[in-house]
Amino acid sequence: MFSLSETPLDLGMLRAATRDVEAGGFAAFEGWVRNRNEGKEVRSLEYEAYPAVAIKEGNRILAEAKDRFGVIHAECTHRTGHLALEDIAVWVGVSAAHRGEAFEACRYIIDEVKLRVPIWKKEHYVDGDSGWVNCERCAARGHGHDHAHHPHGHGAAPVQPAAYYARQLKLPEVGPAGQDRLAHARVLVVGAGGLGAAALPALAAAGVGHIGICDGDRIEISNLHRQTIYTLHQAGQPKAAAAADYLRALNPFVQVQTHPEKLTPDNVEAMLVDYDIVLDCTDNFEAKFLLNDAAIAYGKILVQASIYQYEGQIFVVNPHREGPCLRCVWPEMPDPGCVGSCAEAGVLGAVPAVFGAMQSMEALKILLDLPRQPENTMIFFDLLTLRTRRVTVNRNHSGCVCQSGKKELAWESHTGLELSWEAVEAAQGALLVIDIREEAEREAAPLDCPNLAFPASVFPLQHPPMSVDQRTVLCCSRGFRSRYLAMALRKAGFPNVYSLSNGLQSLHPTHVAP
Amino acid sequence: MKIHVAYYAKLREERGCSEESLDTETATATALYEHLRNEHGFTLSEAQLRVVINEEFAAWDAPIHAGDTVVFIPPVAGG
Repeated sequence: MFSLSETPLDLGMLRAATRDVEAGGFAAFEGWVRNRNEGKEVRSLEYEAYPAVAIKEGNRILAEAKDRFGVIHAECTHRTGHLALEDIAVWVGVSAAHRGEAFEACRYIIDEVKLRVPIWKKEHYVDGDSGWVNCERCAARGHGHDHAHHPHGHGAAPVQPAAYYARQLKLPEVGPAGQDRLAHARVLVVGAGGLGAAALPALAAAGVGHIGICDGDRIEISNLHRQTIYTLHQAGQPKAAAAADYLRALNPFVQVQTHPEKLTPDNVEAMLVDYDIVLDCTDNFEAKFLLNDAAIAYGKILVQASIYQYEGQIFVVNPHREGPCLRCVWPEMPDPGCVGSCAEAGVLGAVPAVFGAMQSMEALKILLDLPRQPENTMIFFDLLTLRTRRVTVNRNHSGCVCQSGKKELAWESHTGLELSWEAVEAAQGALLVIDIREEAEREAAPLDCPNLAFPASVFPLQHPPMSVDQRTVLCCSRGFRSRYLAMALRKAGFPNVYSLSNGLQSLHPTHVAP
Repeated sequence: MKIHVAYYAKLREERGCSEESLDTETATATALYEHLRNEHGFTLSEAQLRVVINEEFAAWDAPIHAGDTVVFIPPVAGG
């Protein structure tokens, strides 16, 4: 088995794992930390791994060795973290029937591990300097393996943080102290869509030390015109992991954590607890109001943005400064129909790019304590006319969540609103199915069961063709629009209306129109 | 009296412009919106909007004075 270890290796235990009554020979290799590399005196070093890939690739190498040389057991452990001179950095042990294959397999494993497993080292030199050093894996051009997540470029020269951040360090307001502040900052980005795809690289490249990405969606072809951190061949992959890969390749000096799930009232506290600032890059009111209430309850600074076609708005909720919140403007979550989603209203890719970049700028302003607008300012920015409107938001109603002083989530969950597809099928036609997607979406991916079409955009001018008593389930591609509409219809006196949980994409990905 | 009116998001689409100058005798934000809604067939009701008077969110019964800038803002959630 291949493993990573943050603590010194227990050689007795490692060796014991290779013991076998059928083995007649055992060969081991140990890699040690030595005091010089390429003419420089080394004081200590650090190993950093990309664990998920390292363990997978390491185990693949061990399997290959067994297969190729017919050995009985093969074990390899690599250290991570800070190591002193003479510490064991890597250990390989192989047991086999005869010594020949044991030696050969051992040699094969260490060579392949050095070449293929994403582990890199930073050397600390006696002269006080330090640097990420070249390794065989990165030097192996044309080897066909992933060269991402590596703190140096294609040349042999190590990349230093001081060189990476050079232009930013020149700013008097940043400097080494500001850069250090960024390195210790923890920012969560909820939504890796249009806004998030612009905000995330800006945060990572600026050196925000710990970045969280929360998104439960997968990449769709129709995302790519505005979510430019993803590529065509990544369609279908989870967004959080793809975005994390992009950031790690962009800046190896920051830590990236993925939360590949939809934000819910149940997971929001655990999601936010480890972060200082949260960027609301979501595209629906439910998530926006949930994040607003959670930021107030758990004392997190929230940077919100929302866009519509060629315009957008940006607003910072800062509970530490007793600023106003989203509910000071909209006490209740708005009904569907009064706003169009990107699927209904359309969007030009540059628009979320502008607002996502602005959100990252707001986070950096706060982290670096730069001059900024008053806490109660909501900015409206029309990208057609380039007119900016700064509107003052007052904390003027005493019942607002931001004035309650409660440290618990004010969010009301809408239990009983959603139905799974299994429940719909189990109803065997007793349930009226209404497809609320727009016409183009329906045509691109028709729903394969008896249903009525009622595009959500015509609400509230028209009501869906349903009666108060008829149990009805509304379907859209992801379950957001149907949820809003179901909530609005329940308010309007239709108690038997439901929303298909997670939308039609959960049944078949082709139900999401390209 | 002369006032300045601006529209955002869906209202801008429905009005076909983002701002205009008007000559009106309506006394409050609510009366002004009702008037504009009749004239342009806006689909959103007052309850679905917020009104901003001179760069500050205001109550619908707030008075309008000559020279004011009145902005109608629908909710927006795209991302």
